[in-house]
Amino acid sequence: MTVVVEKKFAVDVVYNGVTKPIEVQPEEQVTALLHKAISSFGITQNAHLLSLYRQDGSLVPEGESVERAGLMPNEVLLLRPNTVKGGGGLLQLACSIVHKAFRILRECGRGECECVVYWTGPAHESLIDGLEHPDHQRSALGYQVNDGWLTTFWKALGASKRSIKAQIHTHPTEAFHSATDDEWPIVSQAGFISIVIPDFALGQPSLENAWIGRLHINGKWQKLASMREALILA
Amino acid sequence: MTALAELDRMILLSRDHVAPTLSDDEICQQFQSLKVLCVSDPHSLSSHSAQTVLFTLVALLSRMGMQVGLNLPDTAVLLPQPPFLGSSLCEALLASRRKLVTEATVRSDSDFKADVIFVVGDFPGKLHDVPCWYLTGSDWLGSVAMRGIAKPEPWSARLPVGAMVSAALAACEAFKFVMRSLPLRNPSDAVFFEPSFSSSWNFDRITVPLGERIDLGFVDFVSAGAISQAALFALSRFPGIEMSGRIFDDDITEASNLNRNLLTVATDLGEPKVQIASKHCSVGVRLEPVFGRCPGHTSDTRLARRVVVGVDDIPSRWRIQERAPNWLAVGGTSHYSVSSSVHTPGSPCSGCLHPIDDDGGEGRIPTVSFVSFWAGLATTVRLLRDALGQPYPPERQHLWLTPLRMDLLHAGMWIPVAPRRDCPAHCLASISMI
Repeated sequence: MTVVVEKKFAVDVVYNGVTKPIEVQPEEQVTALLHKAISSFGITQNAHLLSLYRQDGSLVPEGESVERAGLMPNEVLLLRPNTVKGGGGLLQLACSIVHKAFRILRECGRGECECVVYWTGPAHESLIDGLEHPDHQRSALGYQVNDGWLTTFWKALGASKRSIKAQIHTHPTEAFHSATDDEWPIVSQAGFISIVIPDFALGQPSLENAWIGRLHINGKWQKLASMREALILA
Repeated sequence: MTALAELDRMILLSRDHVAPTLSDDEICQQFQSLKVLCVSDPHSLSSHSAQTVLFTLVALLSRMGMQVGLNLPDTAVLLPQPPFLGSSLCEALLASRRKLVTEATVRSDSDFKADVIFVVGDFPGKLHDVPCWYLTGSDWLGSVAMRGIAKPEPWSARLPVGAMVSAALAACEAFKFVMRSLPLRNPSDAVFFEPSFSSSWNFDRITVPLGERIDLGFVDFVSAGAISQAALFALSRFPGIEMSGRIFDDDITEASNLNRNLLTVATDLGEPKVQIASKHCSVGVRLEPVFGRCPGHTSDTRLARRVVVGVDDIPSRWRIQERAPNWLAVGGTSHYSVSSSVHTPGSPCSGCLHPIDDDGGEGRIPTVSFVSFWAGLATTVRLLRDALGQPYPPERQHLWLTPLRMDLLHAGMWIPVAPRRDCPAHCLASISMI
């Protein structure tokens, strides 16, 4: 005889002051719970901005299962706006990665060509712990990444559950986002970060003079006032 | 100037739920057609708290474009009720017609046929058979209850916070009354707009010295928009307040601000918001208007020990937090919800609470008078409590309140703020996690 143990339980989700019980399974992803809650309340406006919060004020991590997130039966969760999803959070990275990026951009560009690198990290974390220097064609006016390299790179990212967190490229003089930069980022997801380094990266290895922008959900680039609005240097 | 321009943000908010087939004009007309009668009794109106209920309620209703009728015994205004002007209650209220929102009238005609009635305290006359709520309360607690649920109770409270709570609860009932008359996009959304038979909110009593001045010291207000104006509207009604400080903003008043900027009147359009906020406060609230970008953008402005922030822009909150480490109150709204928090040394900061730039600042922000007012009122209560040495405990560092269904258990939730490892303001609480 097989005994089936019922593991399903309900949590109470509060939205606009109204509480609804939502049933979950322990192994279910928190993202699935979030979607169920959004659907249950019939939210169609800015649903992508909503997250679940515990009564201790902490965010329920969306990359976890219900069980690993520690959700308990009848726990009260607040459904409220949090963030522009799609990598819109602050990215943490070590200063050494900034220095490494500058070194590659300088050595490859030699003070006469644009160059590009990508910062990478675990797909579900706001952490940058890797750097990729793509196979590319370059000139003083721009760069073009090799299609074959890109295909291999995407596959490798998928297999290792990693993602590109930001693209960093150089300009000959002024740092700005050109129409081409606007049109062809390596990632077109809202929240993606693009950084443009002036003077072929020949200056100090710092992001203080860089142009830093975030791709908005409306498809437009928003220039950030400083790197601190996108990055935390450890 | 049209009502559509003045009520634009409220119409936008209603569109969260109203069927898309309705035009803005139709939504606007529905709000403008609502007739709300406010009545009271002589005993109640001899108190500053009941007068505050009426002035606040008329302000909130008018800023939704509604038509207000009055059936009140006239009496002297006991304490200033800015931006209302006049020495008698009826004179001041009637003079506000078409001044808060240009097509919102305030009348005392005997043939005013009300759709909704609000009774402040008690009413000796006969009330028509339309939805009717009684507004009651004490110093820090405000309530509304439908006729038949609660008994009339004259106002006698000394302090006006409960009065303003009661007015905000009533204004929401009027808003929901209109929303119930509009077709909704999703029928299940009707739950948000059901009438509250009885609801209340309590900011919790604290000891306030009787008859003494309450010195709030020097306070900086960053932003002169809806939340700061609501906070100053509330502060200006608190007896005995003494406060000086500065108010920073670089914005000019537009027609679309009239629906929520509680110290602003229609003739103020085109004026800097800082000038309006400064000139309409009560005598005890002295603010130097500083027309310019918020102080977080420059490094040469020292901020006061207490700072109130009402800016929508999240990175500005981080910058101000970094420069205002002593006591920072942040008020904000998101659609129908209100966020109010205080950040003191060692506690998780506003960067921990609002860690992500939601980039909503460039578009039209949906909002309505009573929601912005709740955010300002909650901020004022925090300021008063701090000045009186009775702040809320850490588990009440953040208030998330959605004032639509205040009859439900979780309409307002007090929550601690959790520190975040990736706090953009790098506060002590976040650093201690690393």
